[in-house]
Amino acid sequence: MAYFMLFLGLSFVLGSLAVASNPSPYYGVVGLVVGSVVGCGWLVSLGVSFVSLVLFMVYLGGMLVVFVYSVSLAADPFPEAWGDWRVVGYGMGLVVVVVVGVVVGGFVEWWKVGAVTVDGGGIFAVRLDFSGVAVFYSWGVGMFLVAGWGLLLALFVVLELVRGLSRGAIRAV
Amino acid sequence: MALMHLSFYSAFILSSLGLAFHRTHLISALLCLESMMLSMYIALSIWPIENQSTSFTLMPVLMLTFSACEASAGLAMLVASTRTHGSDHLHNLNLLQC
Repeated sequence: MAYFMLFLGLSFVLGSLAVASNPSPYYGVVGLVVGSVVGCGWLVSLGVSFVSLVLFMVYLGGMLVVFVYSVSLAADPFPEAWGDWRVVGYGMGLVVVVVVGVVVGGFVEWWKVGAVTVDGGGIFAVRLDFSGVAVFYSWGVGMFLVAGWGLLLALFVVLELVRGLSRGAIRAV
Repeated sequence: MALMHLSFYSAFILSSLGLAFHRTHLISALLCLESMMLSMYIALSIWPIENQSTSFTLMPVLMLTFSACEASAGLAMLVASTRTHGSDHLHNLNLLQC
Protein backbone atom coordinates (compact mmCIF):
# COMPACT_ATOMS: atom_id res chain seq x y z
CA MET A 1 0.00 0.00 0.00
CA ALA A 2 2.93 2.28 0.61
CA TYR A 3 4.03 1.71 -2.98
CA PHE A 4 0.63 2.89 -4.16
CA MET A 5 1.06 6.10 -2.18
CA LEU A 6 4.52 6.59 -3.66
CA PHE A 7 3.08 6.08 -7.14
CA LEU A 8 0.39 8.70 -6.44
CA GLY A 9 2.99 11.14 -5.15
CA LEU A 10 5.14 10.63 -8.24
CA SER A 11 2.15 11.04 -10.57
CA PHE A 12 1.25 14.29 -8.82
CA VAL A 13 4.71 15.68 -9.51
CA LEU A 14 4.59 14.49 -13.13
CA GLY A 15 1.22 16.18 -13.63
CA SER A 16 2.68 19.42 -12.31
CA LEU A 17 5.66 18.96 -14.64
CA ALA A 18 3.21 18.62 -17.55
CA VAL A 19 1.52 21.90 -16.57
CA ALA A 20 4.80 23.79 -16.22
CA SER A 21 6.40 22.58 -19.45
CA ASN A 22 3.36 22.53 -21.73
CA PRO A 23 4.03 23.20 -25.42
CA SER A 24 0.39 24.25 -25.76
CA PRO A 25 -2.32 25.02 -23.16
CA TYR A 26 -4.28 21.92 -24.23
CA TYR A 27 -1.56 19.71 -22.76
CA GLY A 28 -1.33 21.89 -19.69
CA VAL A 29 -4.99 21.25 -18.94
CA VAL A 30 -4.40 17.49 -19.37
CA GLY A 31 -1.61 17.67 -16.81
CA LEU A 32 -3.86 19.59 -14.43
CA VAL A 33 -6.65 17.01 -14.77
CA VAL A 34 -4.20 14.15 -14.13
CA GLY A 35 -2.76 16.00 -11.14
CA SER A 36 -6.14 16.65 -9.55
CA VAL A 37 -7.38 13.06 -10.10
CA VAL A 38 -4.19 11.70 -8.53
CA GLY A 39 -4.47 14.21 -5.68
CA CYS A 40 -8.02 13.05 -4.98
CA GLY A 41 -6.83 9.43 -4.94
CA TRP A 42 -4.08 10.46 -2.54
CA LEU A 43 -6.54 12.04 -0.12
CA VAL A 44 -8.90 9.04 -0.33
CA SER A 45 -5.98 6.73 0.50
CA LEU A 46 -5.33 8.77 3.61
CA GLY A 47 -8.96 8.39 4.68
CA VAL A 48 -10.28 11.94 4.23
CA SER A 49 -12.85 11.26 1.56
CA PHE A 50 -14.86 14.44 2.09
CA VAL A 51 -12.14 16.91 1.15
CA SER A 52 -11.29 14.64 -1.76
CA LEU A 53 -14.86 14.84 -3.05
CA VAL A 54 -14.87 18.61 -2.54
CA LEU A 55 -11.72 18.80 -4.66
CA PHE A 56 -13.30 16.65 -7.36
CA MET A 57 -16.52 18.55 -7.62
CA VAL A 58 -15.43 22.14 -7.08
CA TYR A 59 -11.97 22.08 -8.64
CA LEU A 60 -12.19 19.42 -11.34
CA GLY A 61 -15.87 19.75 -12.13
CA GLY A 62 -16.19 23.51 -11.73
CA MET A 63 -12.99 25.40 -12.22
CA LEU A 64 -11.26 23.10 -14.69
CA VAL A 65 -14.30 22.96 -16.96
CA VAL A 66 -14.21 26.76 -17.14
CA PHE A 67 -10.49 26.62 -17.86
CA VAL A 68 -11.02 24.09 -20.64
CA TYR A 69 -13.38 26.28 -22.57
CA SER A 70 -11.24 29.34 -21.92
CA VAL A 71 -8.34 27.37 -23.43
CA SER A 72 -10.49 26.67 -26.46
CA LEU A 73 -11.00 30.44 -26.75
CA ALA A 74 -7.39 31.41 -26.32
CA ALA A 75 -5.11 28.66 -27.64
CA ASP A 76 -3.65 28.09 -31.11
CA PRO A 77 -5.59 26.23 -33.81
CA PHE A 78 -2.50 24.15 -34.64
CA PRO A 79 -0.78 23.27 -31.37
CA GLU A 80 2.70 21.91 -30.99
CA ALA A 81 3.25 18.51 -29.42
CA TRP A 82 5.61 17.07 -26.81
CA GLY A 83 9.14 16.02 -27.62
CA ASP A 84 10.58 19.47 -27.04
CA TRP A 85 13.63 20.87 -25.32
CA ARG A 86 11.40 22.67 -22.77
CA VAL A 87 10.33 19.38 -21.16
CA VAL A 88 13.98 18.47 -20.69
CA GLY A 89 14.70 21.84 -19.11
CA TYR A 90 11.86 21.60 -16.62
CA GLY A 91 12.74 17.96 -15.93
CA MET A 92 16.24 19.08 -15.01
CA GLY A 93 14.73 21.70 -12.69
CA LEU A 94 12.59 18.98 -11.09
CA VAL A 95 15.65 16.80 -10.47
CA VAL A 96 17.47 19.77 -8.89
CA VAL A 97 14.50 20.50 -6.60
CA VAL A 98 14.23 16.87 -5.52
CA VAL A 99 17.95 16.63 -4.82
CA VAL A 100 17.88 19.87 -2.79
CA GLY A 101 14.89 18.59 -0.82
CA VAL A 102 16.55 15.29 -0.04
CA VAL A 103 19.81 16.99 0.94
CA VAL A 104 18.06 19.52 3.18
CA GLY A 105 15.72 16.96 4.72
CA GLY A 106 18.33 14.34 5.11
CA PHE A 107 18.10 10.60 4.65
CA VAL A 108 16.27 10.10 7.95
CA GLU A 109 13.79 7.25 7.34
CA TRP A 110 13.12 8.49 3.84
CA TRP A 111 11.24 5.33 2.87
CA LYS A 112 8.35 6.07 5.20
CA VAL A 113 5.32 7.77 3.75
CA GLY A 114 4.98 10.44 6.41
CA ALA A 115 1.26 10.49 7.18
CA VAL A 116 -1.07 8.27 9.15
CA THR A 117 -4.57 7.46 8.05
CA VAL A 118 -7.74 8.82 9.53
CA ASP A 119 -10.05 6.13 10.80
CA GLY A 120 -11.21 7.09 14.24
CA GLY A 121 -10.75 10.76 15.00
CA GLY A 122 -13.61 13.20 14.90
CA ILE A 123 -16.51 14.70 16.81
CA PHE A 124 -19.49 12.64 18.06
CA ALA A 125 -18.80 9.50 16.01
CA VAL A 126 -18.48 11.43 12.74
CA ARG A 127 -15.19 11.17 10.87
CA LEU A 128 -12.44 13.75 10.99
CA ASP A 129 -12.99 15.65 7.78
CA PHE A 130 -16.80 15.56 7.83
CA SER A 131 -16.95 16.96 11.32
CA GLY A 132 -14.18 19.42 10.61
CA VAL A 133 -15.88 21.00 7.62
CA ALA A 134 -19.18 20.98 9.52
CA VAL A 135 -17.49 23.38 11.96
CA PHE A 136 -17.68 25.86 9.06
CA TYR A 137 -21.39 26.28 9.72
CA SER A 138 -21.35 26.37 13.52
CA TRP A 139 -18.22 28.00 14.95
CA GLY A 140 -16.84 29.37 11.72
CA VAL A 141 -19.98 31.09 10.56
CA GLY A 142 -18.26 34.46 10.36
CA MET A 143 -15.75 33.11 7.89
CA PHE A 144 -18.59 31.40 6.02
CA LEU A 145 -20.31 34.75 5.54
CA VAL A 146 -17.05 36.41 4.48
CA ALA A 147 -16.40 33.68 1.90
CA GLY A 148 -19.94 33.93 0.54
CA TRP A 149 -19.63 37.70 0.29
CA GLY A 150 -16.29 37.31 -1.50
CA LEU A 151 -17.80 34.94 -4.06
CA LEU A 152 -20.69 37.34 -4.71
CA LEU A 153 -18.20 40.18 -5.09
CA ALA A 154 -16.17 38.11 -7.57
CA LEU A 155 -19.23 37.90 -9.81
CA PHE A 156 -19.45 41.69 -10.00
CA VAL A 157 -15.69 41.98 -10.49
CA VAL A 158 -15.89 39.69 -13.52
CA LEU A 159 -18.86 41.65 -14.86
CA GLU A 160 -16.97 44.92 -14.67
CA LEU A 161 -13.77 43.49 -16.16
CA VAL A 162 -15.42 42.21 -19.32
CA ARG A 163 -17.95 44.99 -19.77
CA GLY A 164 -15.90 46.81 -22.38
CA LEU A 165 -16.19 49.74 -24.69
CA SER A 166 -15.97 52.65 -22.26
CA ARG A 167 -16.67 51.39 -18.79
CA GLY A 168 -14.32 48.41 -18.58
CA ALA A 169 -10.87 48.45 -17.02
CA ILE A 170 -8.89 47.00 -19.90
CA ARG A 171 -10.87 47.53 -23.08
CA ALA A 172 -9.46 50.47 -24.99
CA VAL A 173 -11.08 50.14 -28.39
CA MET B 1 11.67 15.37 4.91
CA ALA B 2 8.84 12.92 4.62
CA LEU B 3 8.48 11.62 1.12
CA MET B 4 4.94 12.86 0.50
CA HIS B 5 5.90 16.34 1.69
CA LEU B 6 8.64 16.31 -0.92
CA SER B 7 6.03 15.42 -3.52
CA PHE B 8 3.75 18.44 -3.12
CA TYR B 9 6.74 20.67 -2.33
CA SER B 10 8.38 19.89 -5.66
CA ALA B 11 5.02 20.16 -7.46
CA PHE B 12 4.60 23.67 -6.02
CA ILE B 13 8.14 24.67 -6.99
CA LEU B 14 7.69 23.32 -10.52
CA SER B 15 4.43 25.23 -10.99
CA SER B 16 5.95 28.46 -9.72
CA LEU B 17 8.86 27.97 -12.14
CA GLY B 18 6.31 27.52 -14.91
CA LEU B 19 4.61 30.74 -13.82
CA ALA B 20 7.92 32.63 -13.76
CA PHE B 21 9.05 31.38 -17.17
CA HIS B 22 5.72 31.68 -18.97
CA ARG B 23 6.24 31.82 -22.68
CA THR B 24 3.54 32.51 -25.24
CA HIS B 25 0.07 32.38 -23.81
CA LEU B 26 -1.37 34.16 -20.80
CA ILE B 27 -3.49 31.11 -20.07
CA SER B 28 -0.38 28.97 -19.54
CA ALA B 29 0.52 31.25 -16.63
CA LEU B 30 -3.02 30.95 -15.27
CA LEU B 31 -2.81 27.14 -15.50
CA CYS B 32 0.47 27.17 -13.53
CA LEU B 33 -1.27 29.32 -10.90
CA GLU B 34 -4.02 26.70 -10.66
CA SER B 35 -1.45 23.95 -10.26
CA MET B 36 0.16 25.89 -7.40
CA MET B 37 -3.24 26.14 -5.78
CA LEU B 38 -3.81 22.38 -6.18
CA SER B 39 -0.54 21.51 -4.44
CA MET B 40 -1.38 23.95 -1.64
CA TYR B 41 -4.79 22.27 -1.24
CA ILE B 42 -3.13 18.85 -0.87
CA ALA B 43 -0.66 20.30 1.65
CA LEU B 44 -3.40 21.94 3.73
CA SER B 45 -5.41 18.68 3.68
CA ILE B 46 -2.48 16.55 4.87
CA TRP B 47 -1.75 18.86 7.81
CA PRO B 48 -4.83 18.01 9.94
CA ILE B 49 -4.39 14.32 9.07
CA GLU B 50 -0.91 14.27 10.50
CA ASN B 51 -1.86 16.19 13.61
CA GLN B 52 -5.24 14.44 13.96
CA SER B 53 -6.89 17.80 14.55
CA THR B 54 -10.47 18.05 13.42
CA SER B 55 -11.21 21.70 12.91
CA PHE B 56 -8.30 22.41 10.57
CA THR B 57 -9.93 20.35 7.83
CA LEU B 58 -11.80 23.56 7.14
CA MET B 59 -8.69 25.26 5.74
CA PRO B 60 -8.45 23.58 2.32
CA VAL B 61 -12.16 24.17 1.61
CA LEU B 62 -11.80 27.85 2.49
CA MET B 63 -8.70 28.16 0.32
CA LEU B 64 -10.56 26.54 -2.57
CA THR B 65 -13.30 29.17 -2.21
CA PHE B 66 -10.92 32.10 -2.54
CA SER B 67 -8.98 30.37 -5.30
CA ALA B 68 -12.20 30.12 -7.29
CA CYS B 69 -12.58 33.91 -6.98
CA GLU B 70 -8.99 34.39 -8.11
CA ALA B 71 -9.38 32.05 -11.09
CA SER B 72 -12.53 33.84 -12.22
CA ALA B 73 -10.81 37.22 -12.04
CA GLY B 74 -7.83 35.88 -14.00
CA LEU B 75 -10.05 34.40 -16.70
CA ALA B 76 -12.01 37.65 -16.95
CA MET B 77 -8.75 39.48 -17.61
CA LEU B 78 -7.86 36.85 -20.20
CA VAL B 79 -11.14 37.41 -22.02
CA ALA B 80 -10.75 41.20 -21.80
CA SER B 81 -7.22 41.09 -23.23
CA THR B 82 -8.36 38.73 -26.01
CA ARG B 83 -11.11 41.17 -26.95
CA THR B 84 -8.70 44.11 -26.93
CA HIS B 85 -5.56 42.64 -28.46
CA GLY B 86 -7.01 39.86 -30.58
CA SER B 87 -5.16 37.03 -28.82
CA ASP B 88 -3.70 36.29 -25.42
CA HIS B 89 -0.09 36.30 -26.56
CA LEU B 90 2.06 37.90 -23.92
CA HIS B 91 4.29 39.80 -26.35
CA ASN B 92 1.23 41.82 -27.43
CA LEU B 93 0.89 43.30 -23.94
CA ASN B 94 3.61 45.89 -24.55
CA LEU B 95 1.97 49.15 -23.54
CA LEU B 96 4.79 49.95 -21.13
CA GLN B 97 7.57 49.36 -23.63
CA CYS B 98 9.68 52.35 -24.50
